[in-house]
Formats: sequence, structure tokens, C-alpha cells
Amino acid sequence: MSSVIWYLYEFARKSWAENFAAAKSDKEIMDAPDRFRNFPEVHKEYCIACGACTAACPAPMAIKLVRDEDNAHEDGFTYPVINNRGCIRCGFCAEVCPTDPKTLTCGENHLIREDFTILPVDKKFVIDDYLCIRCKKCMKTCKVGDAIVEEDNKIVIDQSKCISCGECLKTCPVKGAIKGIHISNVEEQKEIINLVVNSLEAKIEAEQDKIKDIVGSDVYSFDISAVELIEDAKKILDDDELIDDIIENITDRLKLRVITWDKDKCTNCRLCVKECPSGAIKYTSEEGVVRNPDKCLRCSICYQTCPFGAIGYYISRFLYKRDEAEKIIHVTVKTSDLPVRS
Amino acid sequence: MLDGLKDIIRKSSIHVCLVNTGGCNGCDIEVVALLSPRYDLEQYGIYVHNNPREADVLLITGAMAEQWKDKLQKIYAKTPEPKVVVAIGNCPLTGDVFNQEGSSVHAPVSDWIPVDAEVSGCPPRPSEILAAILAVGPDAIAARGRQKL
Repeated sequence: MSSVIWYLYEFARKSWAENFAAAKSDKEIMDAPDRFRNFPEVHKEYCIACGACTAACPAPMAIKLVRDEDNAHEDGFTYPVINNRGCIRCGFCAEVCPTDPKTLTCGENHLIREDFTILPVDKKFVIDDYLCIRCKKCMKTCKVGDAIVEEDNKIVIDQSKCISCGECLKTCPVKGAIKGIHISNVEEQKEIINLVVNSLEAKIEAEQDKIKDIVGSDVYSFDISAVELIEDAKKILDDDELIDDIIENITDRLKLRVITWDKDKCTNCRLCVKECPSGAIKYTSEEGVVRNPDKCLRCSICYQTCPFGAIGYYISRFLYKRDEAEKIIHVTVKTSDLPVRS
Repeated sequence: MLDGLKDIIRKSSIHVCLVNTGGCNGCDIEVVALLSPRYDLEQYGIYVHNNPREADVLLITGAMAEQWKDKLQKIYAKTPEPKVVVAIGNCPLTGDVFNQEGSSVHAPVSDWIPVDAEVSGCPPRPSEILAAILAVGPDAIAARGRQKL
């Protein structure tokens, strides 16, 4: 009996009548929460049309790169278009988008940044696999313990663990196998590298006459003063330690090839003109066969072709002595190991 | 008078049949979430039956597998008039991730039976499904019912 009364009481309430007439869910239930990852938004003015989003998209119909029609004043935009009927809202397109700011934005949970060390250091240490002899001395001295690891038969430094203490550099028995690279001022560093390599090449070209006299396994060596070079480099970036490090890193690894040309032995047979892959060798009736050093690739094909030994091919290596009073670059030139045609 | 009464009854009592034509089951779980007390589908007078002979609305999920081609049409034929078809999720619309080259997916569903409403998303939020059913369901059913009579 009491239950019937309770039912009557329930049905008599105003809220019951309202809910019965017009049922409605609460607004907070129907609204999407902030963390909800909705369809990606496209900001087409940032797009570089790389197509990374289309490659990353797992749904075949979801994303397409389109291009607006050009008008009289400017080219049309190229940008991705999201098809909401195919998109699965995974956010991969926003994750891979390489532009900054991103062309595609989709929630907050897919903005992955690269690993980096939060230590305030200006140098990063890397192992040059070409020079590394895999003695593993650096692994034993590493203070972190597992910052230097062996991976796929190569010794590599794990940049997320390395603290840039430089202990490995001291124990490495091979000069140049571990090197400290400056992280900042990359564009200036590139300019300095170009400057050093070009001026070294010019200096060696100037020594052509002495290089021609090298025979057999003889080695011709001479010193170049680095003072002038450093002065020039300082005009690009005024940082003594950085310049020293760059010159040392280059010279440890650099191997310049030198082509010499003996006019007296040349008989103008013009065999080399045809063989040259870059068109650097030209023949004119007034000057005979002439090589243009700016166009030359130093590939040595002319040296291997010449039947008269007019062309010489040499290899030069460098050693930067930074600790001496006057900084010098020691250059050694020797004949290449290529077989000589007799 | 009779039409008006039928309209009111049909609008306030929608029977739904859920058909999965070969998807990942994600959208079906969202429909189950709709039945939960949080969203409470039944307060709108919507009942999920899983029997096409009793249904007014067919909810289609899934990407149309090979075997569903004739069976979906049979289910559609069994549903009494007036009937409304709502496609839920991206699978019935485009085939979604299953519509790869060389797969036996025969999306979209609208190639096989007429579709009245589409809800995109993979899966769509329960509130989106609810909004779609409420937006299309009552009026469409009432309109269809009048056409027939």
C-alpha cells in the first residue's frame, strides 16, 4: 500500500512532469571535454606542401593535399584538406607536421619533441665512425656509465644521457675519432668551414711546382701559418675556442686531392677532353689543352687517361698544431695509390 | 486526427536495431555507453531491440564485409515501414582504415541501402550519436509514416 502512495507522490512532482514532457540530458554530459581530440584544424597559410601528413595518415580517404587556383597577383595556396567522413582523429598528421607554427593542429597530446639534454652546455660530443677503432676505452671511462653504448657494431654516444664532460675525448687513442661539436651558430660555422677548406686548397695549388717533383713513395710536407686564417674567421664569428675546434675537426678528417698539370709533357692529344665528366678540360688551338680548376671535380679520370704522364694526382692531409706559439697547419702531400700508366 | 495521434506516438517511442556489418566494435561500444545511466537513451523513449522486425531505426556500424552484402538488404527489407537508417562512424561512410587496396570491404553502406543520417567520427562521441538520432529520428519517422498512409 505504501508503495502505491510513493508512486502517486512521485508522479505528482513537478520535475517528473517536466522530464516526462521534454527529456533532456545535462549540458555538461553532452559537451565534449577540453581534453577531447577533435578533427584536425588546418591553417593553410603555413603549409609547405611536404606531404608528411598524407604519408602518416592511417585512413585511406581522410587527407588530401589540394592546391588553389593561381590568380593574377599570387600563386594559389597548397594545403591539406581533412575529410571528416574518413578521419579517425588520431592526430598523427599534426604530430608529423614539420612547419613551425604547425599547419595542422589536433589536440595537445601529440606534440612530441626530440630528445635533448637540458644541461647548459655549448658542446655536443659525437663519435666519428670512420675513424673509430672500437677499442671501447671511452666506454670504460664514461662517467655516466651507459651514455656510450655499442649499437649495431658501432660505438655511439646517447645524446639524451651524455653530460658533455669530455672525459672520453681525453682517453681516445685516435685523433679526431671523438669530437666536440658546437651546437650554436651553425650558419657561421658553415661559413668558417668553407673559408678554411677553400684557403687551404688555394695554398696547395700555389705549391704546384714542388708537388710535381714528388716521386714514388716520397712525401712532401710544409707548414702553413694559421694566423691569417684565424683572423679571417674571427670576422665571421669572434670566438677563439670555437674557431680552433672547427679547424681541428676539419683537418683531422680532411683529405684534399691535388691535380697537377705539366704543360711540357702535354702533346695535345685531347684524350682527356672527352673523358672529363664535368667539362673542366677545354682545347683551343691557341692555348692547347687547359684545365679549369674551379670546375674540376678532382676525380682523377684525366690522370688515369693521360698516356704521357702530363697529369699528376696527389693526396694531401693536414695536422693542426693549436698548442704552439704560432698556430700552424702541417700539410703532407704524397702520390696517390692509383696505378700509373706507363 | 488519427495521423496526429500516430505522429505523437511514433515520435515519443523509437525502436532501434543495431547492425554491425564488420567493423572493429568501437561504435557499438559507444552505443552501449548511450544505454548507460550517464546518457540514458531511454529517457527519450528510444529502445534498443536488436530485432529488425520491431525497429523503426536501423543503426548501421561497420565497413560492409563481403558476407553482409545480401544480408543487410534482407534486414532492411524486414524492417517495417516507416524506417530510418542512421550510419554511425566512418566505416559505413568511407570504409575508414579497412578500405585499403585489395580488401573485401564494400563501403559505403549507401551503395546497398538508402541512408538517412550520417554520424562521422571513429568512433563518434555518444552525445553525437544521440544528437543525430534525435535530430533525424522523430521527424523523419513521422514524415515517412504520413507518406505511407
